[in-house]
Amino acid sequence: MTPAIQTEDLAFSHLGSGLPALAEVALLTPEGAAIALLGPSGAGKTTLLTLLDGRLRGWHGRATVLGSALDPDRAPPLARRADTGFIFQEFALVERSTVLRNVLNGRLARMEFFRALLARPSPNDVTIARTALEDCGIADLAERRVDSLSGGQRQRVAIARCLAQEPRLILADEPVSNLDPVRAAEILSLLTRAARKRGATTVFSSHQPELARRFAERVIGMRNGRIVFDMATEDLSEDATVQLYQDAENPLSPLLQVVQ
Amino acid sequence: MKRARNVGGFAASALIAGAVLWSLVTTDVELSRLLSAAPRIADFLGRMFPPDPTVMSEIVRGSAETLRIAIVGTLGAVILSVPLGILASDTMAPPAVYRLVRTLLALIRAIPLILVAMLMVGAVGLGPLPGIIAVAFHATGMLAKFYSEAIDNVERAPIAALESAGAGPILRLRHAIWPQMAPVIARDTIFRFELNLRESLVLGIVGAGGIGFYIQTYVRSFQYDKAASVTIAVIIMVIAIEAVNVALRRRFT
Repeated sequence: MTPAIQTEDLAFSHLGSGLPALAEVALLTPEGAAIALLGPSGAGKTTLLTLLDGRLRGWHGRATVLGSALDPDRAPPLARRADTGFIFQEFALVERSTVLRNVLNGRLARMEFFRALLARPSPNDVTIARTALEDCGIADLAERRVDSLSGGQRQRVAIARCLAQEPRLILADEPVSNLDPVRAAEILSLLTRAARKRGATTVFSSHQPELARRFAERVIGMRNGRIVFDMATEDLSEDATVQLYQDAENPLSPLLQVVQ
Repeated sequence: MKRARNVGGFAASALIAGAVLWSLVTTDVELSRLLSAAPRIADFLGRMFPPDPTVMSEIVRGSAETLRIAIVGTLGAVILSVPLGILASDTMAPPAVYRLVRTLLALIRAIPLILVAMLMVGAVGLGPLPGIIAVAFHATGMLAKFYSEAIDNVERAPIAALESAGAGPILRLRHAIWPQMAPVIARDTIFRFELNLRESLVLGIVGAGGIGFYIQTYVRSFQYDKAASVTIAVIIMVIAIEAVNVALRRRFT
């Protein structure tokens, strides 16, 4: 099986901060699996996902996504970017546009240019968008404007947009961190199910080990920019997750110590 | 700290009180004179009634010209405001440029329309053309500022999302930026058009075209009944403009 993601010695540090956001990260991800990325805040999960999406500049190491090497100095060609879908923590939807229009936005790179420019999607594009809406359980919201929706509904729209893009790899940055536990499980369930139905690989980051256990075949633990474990979900022990979050470099902790 | 603020507050109050007193004393607002003028004011108002309806054709011609001045003037302001709005935006232009352009726009806003119109009449002669130039110039001060704010308020996240999905710059402009900006720009432009129409009603007084010319002509020639008709027409126009624009603006949210 070809790997969806293959990386070696990834390193990156944010401008002005001495601490590395990523260090020596090496990953190998088989195609078609659901992988959870666990770790405390600041572990480097978002940085790693952004890098894999081709939106990070100035990193070091080697990264191959869907068989093509990423260039640390320039964004991948547009046609290739469409194969990698990204689900943003804050949804990143066009608030004033309708749900259907937002979902069709995911397909812009798949449409003929003038159809895309004139917002005249082909019947096939509309069918794909509507199927994505159905898979996300929001077919009835198609004509609603996004700014009239709840947080959970918006996240479903964001997922539907990503599905309509027909990516082979889905990178989801904390897709359920804004939702209550019941909704969070619902959303992850529909995301992983829809991705599997389309044969896409999914990597989602999360703070919640129990969600990783339920929806991923593999879990990767990150801490301080490093991968501390990478294993099949059934091998994930309680100890490993406790250790992952213990004494994490929480920006609040010095303050809490002062309070105590 | 608190004491300092109290002292400042007292100084401000004293200054305002002083300014009001000074104005009252030096502008000879005498109650006796106001009372003796009452019959004259009554006579003046009496001569306005009944308004003379025979000036209807002048009213229609003048209103049409005012409307044309406002439309063409607004169009000119839109054309000037697109590039200036981009240059005044801190997300599009470098600090040196947007600071300069914003200062320029503030200066333009500080010059009253009627003053610009007078200067333009001097420069290009009587008629609607100086009015149009004045409206376009004056309105650009506000409209370019509004446009730059519309540009700066565009959310970046949806643009990044479309880029991540493989959409090129033109498609990102069309589907992530334009839907965020278009309603704001439409609303701002309609609002500015309403102001332009209201403000150009008086342009005729300085010879810059439109219905104001007739008000000025009739008042100067003591034809108060005709002036009254024109005034009533102006009031009706202002109310109608506002009603139409409120309804229009509500569509762009």
